[in-house]
Amino acid sequence: MKLNDYSQNLGIRIGTIHVLAFIFLTILGVRLYYLQVMRGSYYSERAENQRIRLIPIPAPRGAIFDRNGKILVDSRSTYNVTLSNEPIKKINVNDRIEDYARGLNLEPQFVVERLNFIKKQPEFETMVLKENATIQDIAWVESHTLEYPELRIELQPQRIYPLGTILAHVLGYVGEISPKQLESEEYRAKGFRPGDIIGKGGLEQYYDEFLRGRPGYRKVIVDSRGRVQDEIEVVPPQAGQDLTTTIDLDLQNAAEEQLAKSVTKRGTIISTDPNNGEILAMASLPSFDPNIFVQSSTKPEGRRQIAAYWQDESRPLYNRAIQGRYPPGSTWKIPESVGALQQGVITVKDSNVACGGGITIGNKFTRCMGSHGSPPLSYAITKSCDGYYYRLALKMKIEGLIEMIEMFDYDKQTGVDLPNEKVSQTPKSWKPIIEKREGKWSDIRTVYASIGQDTVVVTPISMLRAISSIGVKGKMYVPHFLKEFKSIGSIGDPNDSSFIPERLGFGFQHPEPKIIPMTAEQEEVMVKGMWGVVNGGGTAGSIRIPGFEIAGKTGTAQNSSLNSGGAKDHAWFVSFAPAYKPEIAVIALIENSGFGGSHAAPAVKGVYEAYLAKRNGGVLPVVEETAKK
Amino acid sequence: MAAILEKRDLRDFDWLTAFIAVSIVCFGVWQIYNAQPDMNYWSKQILGLGIALVAFLVVAFSDYRRIIDAAPIFYGFGLFLLLLVLVPGLGVKVNGQTAWLRLPVIGQFQPSEFVKIPMILMLAKYFGAKKGGNLTLKEFLIGVAILAAPVGLIMLEPDAGQAMTYFPILAVVLFLSGIKVRYVVITILAGLILVPAAFWVGVQTGKIKKYQLERINVILDPENADPRGYGYHTVQSMITVGKGGLTGIKGDTETSQAKLKFLPEPQTDFIFAVTAENTGFIGCISLLLAYALLLSRLVAGARDSNDRAGMLVIMAIVGGMSFQIFMNVGMVLGFLPVIGVPLPLMSAGLSAVLATFIAIGFAVSIKMRRFVN
Repeated sequence: MKLNDYSQNLGIRIGTIHVLAFIFLTILGVRLYYLQVMRGSYYSERAENQRIRLIPIPAPRGAIFDRNGKILVDSRSTYNVTLSNEPIKKINVNDRIEDYARGLNLEPQFVVERLNFIKKQPEFETMVLKENATIQDIAWVESHTLEYPELRIELQPQRIYPLGTILAHVLGYVGEISPKQLESEEYRAKGFRPGDIIGKGGLEQYYDEFLRGRPGYRKVIVDSRGRVQDEIEVVPPQAGQDLTTTIDLDLQNAAEEQLAKSVTKRGTIISTDPNNGEILAMASLPSFDPNIFVQSSTKPEGRRQIAAYWQDESRPLYNRAIQGRYPPGSTWKIPESVGALQQGVITVKDSNVACGGGITIGNKFTRCMGSHGSPPLSYAITKSCDGYYYRLALKMKIEGLIEMIEMFDYDKQTGVDLPNEKVSQTPKSWKPIIEKREGKWSDIRTVYASIGQDTVVVTPISMLRAISSIGVKGKMYVPHFLKEFKSIGSIGDPNDSSFIPERLGFGFQHPEPKIIPMTAEQEEVMVKGMWGVVNGGGTAGSIRIPGFEIAGKTGTAQNSSLNSGGAKDHAWFVSFAPAYKPEIAVIALIENSGFGGSHAAPAVKGVYEAYLAKRNGGVLPVVEETAKK
Repeated sequence: MAAILEKRDLRDFDWLTAFIAVSIVCFGVWQIYNAQPDMNYWSKQILGLGIALVAFLVVAFSDYRRIIDAAPIFYGFGLFLLLLVLVPGLGVKVNGQTAWLRLPVIGQFQPSEFVKIPMILMLAKYFGAKKGGNLTLKEFLIGVAILAAPVGLIMLEPDAGQAMTYFPILAVVLFLSGIKVRYVVITILAGLILVPAAFWVGVQTGKIKKYQLERINVILDPENADPRGYGYHTVQSMITVGKGGLTGIKGDTETSQAKLKFLPEPQTDFIFAVTAENTGFIGCISLLLAYALLLSRLVAGARDSNDRAGMLVIMAIVGGMSFQIFMNVGMVLGFLPVIGVPLPLMSAGLSAVLATFIAIGFAVSIKMRRFVN
């Protein structure tokens, strides 16, 4: 030290500054030790979590085919604009409403709904803001990545229903899982997330688990604004399994055509193979276009159309075949006759019951359409003699009718592989209610019930299932659409955690058919009666096809009691053919059209003609009548 | 220059100090590259180092005494530059601060980085003439006046961070000019009481703005601060540092915090976080040791200094640098608020590197002339 100025302690003062500098550096070193060595792994994990994201890759759903491999439902690639909630958690989303609505051509109200929903979700969730993004939408999003890092373009396989309104009720449609479903335990347990696409209605819903693929994902590195910087890993999705149905598209088209031709254009036609329960066609009119639900549910006009479907009084969204319940009218006489034979109220040898032109219960006379003397069973069926059945039912008593109802499963669902099937309502379900309300079950109700009125309303599918069993030794098969699910291969390495195992193909697991224990004679007399309806001068003689013997039964059901007075009767025709070796069963119900023989039966005939044209390669059957009478 | 270079000059030249300073800048260039591999900050920094070395040598081989004699001219010129910054059209506004001056030929630079040197020279000239004895009030006020002029102009930019770095320079000079120890103690005690009190009053009266409050709260409680609000930078900086662990991320720059833009200004104010992420605790401690060594060399030079003015220049540089290192790294490590102070020799920026090397040049020059009279 050259500056010998001890009065100022200069050396000590310089030393003080030196030491102070070292203390500063030591503090920094200690802090570094704490952050890097003691808490290093904690911060590594935080850094990792904030930069790695899993972006799901949606899996295409399985396609749906008819029994001959014709495509019924397919998927195609579309693009979605998705909204990630992470970057918007802390911003005032009200600023975004206008921008999104203008940039993506959305309704502001819709944008508000979406933003409110996504804000409530846990972090790192995404949801679809706009489906079917156009080239313009994609360009808009891509050019605004700086302002709106929360928006992303994602590939989305989209359902497409090439048939439009045809078969719509059977196929159903798909859509985003609803907030309500998300909250339910059932869906939570299956790991559904907001924005997942699930089947809604029809086969899409019933077999959703199999049709739905398993999504893959991209593991990516994102920057501080959520933009993808790099890709670490890609696990491809596993597509859903393809479904081959029992539907025969040609018969389906024929059925749809018949309904469209009908006077009211409201009703249903179902066709099955009575030998195994396979459903060949199921049409219900009015119908809807599932494509609207899939493609336009985020667009104003699509939402209007969907709202219109829900509000339409003709109820286009509802599948009349399994959800409609109609008084069966005279078609009811078929199961009733079988019941009477089974219970021994009549026998094959002694089946005559008086017609009497009608019956008087108390002081009320209920008439028959004609005067048939005291006909045998087959004649009563052929001519649809009401008087016969009034008395037959009074002999069976209401308990006998209920026994019959149970025998034919009218008190249950048929088990068809569609969601939301309704159960018929019958005296079995009504009797306790009526007895409570009126004190007793009166005979007049038994009389009405004998001709499928008043306390009887049945679903067309349950009616077809019951009656189509008559020609096949009383075997009631479960009606179904599933023919086969194709297998789909595994994805990835079995040793990886991301491995998705193979999914095996399978067919319909046939439950044992319910058997109506009819004797051969009983069956013969029933078929003879039904044969006569078409071929023996019966109520549907007009639809006779030479060389192809239809066994059937007409029904003309009054429904004035159901709603306003003047509505016309529902027309029914239920049948199978050929009468003595059934290959196909068809039922038609035309709402408020009138007489069954004139409105429902011709519609059924149209389906048979399509069937024959196909079976015989377009050649009409050779005229060769079976002499069995 | 060769003519004035004598063998004795080369022998007395402080090679080690120069070597440490250049090494830290080179290490810094690597970290700047890690921070922004796709940008040219790192190559600019090499260019800056080249220019700085030339300036360093010129200063080192000049006679510092003559320069100190001319201090008022430099000081006046420095104030003139700070005034120019405030002239609309000449000053360049970046992030709300007009701290940059754009001049033809020279280009863009930051006068507030350089003006520290003339201020140090000015203080050294005035206090170096002092013969001993305790600091008088008059001397104290003149010292404050020398500080107040540039600091006042810098606050007009406004650049509080830079302005703050001027205070320790005056503090060191006053301390070494015989200020009574009891005043030092009183000042420190007053600071310990008044700063929290002022903070409390500021919060109560709303003088401290919400974002400023949040910046302070995040330091007090980083885990519960709003990670996307004003505490974001502090939290991200701590994550970046902590992630480095003992040995750093070893070249995985693709996923670095800086590359993914979690870290703001990684090449300048947060360069230490980048260093921490890439080289870990070992790299950071090595850097801090290098600073310690550099500061020690400078202090040793001050002790050997021939005259009071030379000693004051060096110690003022030591004080300024230590304070800046502490402020910057303290901010990066999350215990000091986010204030834009660059890390000497590490942060990208031509002005800062040049100014630091000129300062070290003085120190080397002073040391070189310790036997000359």
